[in-house]
Amino acid sequence: MSAGTPSGKLHIPISVSRIGIALMAATTAIAGLALCGIAFGRSPGELLAILASGSIGSSFALQGTLLKSVPLLLTGLSVAIAFRAGVWNIGGEGQFLIGALGAFLGARYGLIASLAAAVLAGAIWASIATAMRLWRNAPEVLTTILLNFIAIHLLGYAVNGPLQEASGKYPQSDAVPAGAALPLLGNLELHAGVVIAVLVAIAAWYLLYRTAEGLRLRATGFNRSAAKWAGVNVDAQLIRAMAISGAMAGLAGGIELLGVTHRLFERFAAGYGYAGIAVALLAQLHPLGTIASAFFFGALTTGAGELQRTAGISSMVATLAQAIVILAMIAFMRRSKASS
Amino acid sequence: MTSQLLAAIPLAIVASTPLLLAVLGELVVERAGMINLGIEGMMLTAAMTAVVAAQWTHSITIGFLAGIAGAAAIGALFGLFAIRFAVDQIVTGTAIVLLAQGLTGVVYRQLQQSAIFLQPVPRFDTDVVVPLAWIVIPIVLAFLLWRTRFGLRLRACGELPAAVTAVGASVAMHRWIALAIESVLTGIAGAYLALALSSGFAENMTSGRGFIALSIVIFGRWKLKGALLGTAVFGIAAAAQYSLQASGRGIPFHLLLAMPYVVTLLILCGIAGRVRAPESLGR
Repeated sequence: MSAGTPSGKLHIPISVSRIGIALMAATTAIAGLALCGIAFGRSPGELLAILASGSIGSSFALQGTLLKSVPLLLTGLSVAIAFRAGVWNIGGEGQFLIGALGAFLGARYGLIASLAAAVLAGAIWASIATAMRLWRNAPEVLTTILLNFIAIHLLGYAVNGPLQEASGKYPQSDAVPAGAALPLLGNLELHAGVVIAVLVAIAAWYLLYRTAEGLRLRATGFNRSAAKWAGVNVDAQLIRAMAISGAMAGLAGGIELLGVTHRLFERFAAGYGYAGIAVALLAQLHPLGTIASAFFFGALTTGAGELQRTAGISSMVATLAQAIVILAMIAFMRRSKASS
Repeated sequence: MTSQLLAAIPLAIVASTPLLLAVLGELVVERAGMINLGIEGMMLTAAMTAVVAAQWTHSITIGFLAGIAGAAAIGALFGLFAIRFAVDQIVTGTAIVLLAQGLTGVVYRQLQQSAIFLQPVPRFDTDVVVPLAWIVIPIVLAFLLWRTRFGLRLRACGELPAAVTAVGASVAMHRWIALAIESVLTGIAGAYLALALSSGFAENMTSGRGFIALSIVIFGRWKLKGALLGTAVFGIAAAAQYSLQASGRGIPFHLLLAMPYVVTLLILCGIAGRVRAPESLGR
């Protein structure tokens, strides 16, 4: 399949208008949700008020939003790195799950070992797709998606079989040992994963924009054959970008396990992997922009949860908003490209 | 084991009928030069609109028509971005899957609180869809795509769009028609899935069939015979799964659920060497 490379077509205009475009896309999504409210016989203002108070309206809500932002930031970075290199990794969901599975298995050896296992497991799972691409020419856009479904059923098998809790009551695992859980920050509900995620974002920015390796990675994504002519080992870049991308999604899963749920269960991933695509595109594939973008989608997710509780509107509106943001971003970026 | 497998084959043919329709639809669209990942969302939306309309009107026919309308609405959105705006098709397709999942999730939950849902989903008695999908539609498509001037131009849109423009025909129009054909086929697929294979709608009930369809199109090398063969291989693997499930030989249920996706991965990796895609696919 000779699909264009991601950043090849998603050309990023270099100007201040980049932030303006992102704000417009975010506003479009919020407006879209408010209009949904009319369809359900609620006033848009009322819905927006619930969204706002449920996500940033109180210290409790704000901590909830930050907790949701952590996995979104990491899966967003995962997508940003992959798309920058021209690798279609749509497999964040599966890498997230396998990362959590790895973290669970590593948890008995302590926190560091557990996080390392998550990173490694995510990288290996993603690399299956690279191997299939390089050896059999199977397009990674499809293999990564298929691997998501396999990961979901693998986790289902694990929590119904070998990893089911000792009491055998529910399809879930036992809690990870207390020693492997991520410590809380001060007397907040927040765990140390927030710090890790932000550090990873800064590291990703440094890698992409301040190292020769990062330049080669971006060159590969921008124009694969030109990069090859310039002496870049393109295959090595693709292998590395997919592995790093998978590692970040895996880490997201590990942190979610060790910081929030402490247990594995069937619906563990809850769409964080796919949401990462919206997070990365709203940030226009920039690692530091991803921090703001992840916070926005984190707020949307907690706000949508509040909508479901108080207004009876399905929290799937968050997924709807992600889709609107992606579509708005590609439409606006095309227009700004045409005018520049 | 062998007899169990043989017994499972008719079931497998019926069960892989929506998949075949999706494969055929995607084949037409990819021949016209587009990759539509959004097909997963089109089928999911069709499943929902079909169930809601069938419950509302007590008519299977109207259910199927509503399925087509639902798929067409999502397909038109894809066309707006892929044809009109000419933006990246993979990103658009992914967004459209999310859109359909979100939309069906929100709308279905809202409708569940209304009175239509007290109505039973009408029963599906005479199955015309299976012979239609496995015999009639492939013959019609074979004729349309390879024996008419329209088909030649549609395929040229996937290979060398400039040639279509050069003879004074519109690439955009041929691509819209290809999308319309896909909408009809995936609309029927979604409706059949919800009304015939299950008795109602469930969140994400298409469970990746659209993505499996894309893989089978590649495996079939963008040819109709390949599409039928690929779907049949997949169907036989599914039959093996059912008979394993029935025999209860101790393979855990959840690992069996993963089997269709593993088979699809193997099918994708089975395309040894160079597969020649339509030259302008995705551009």
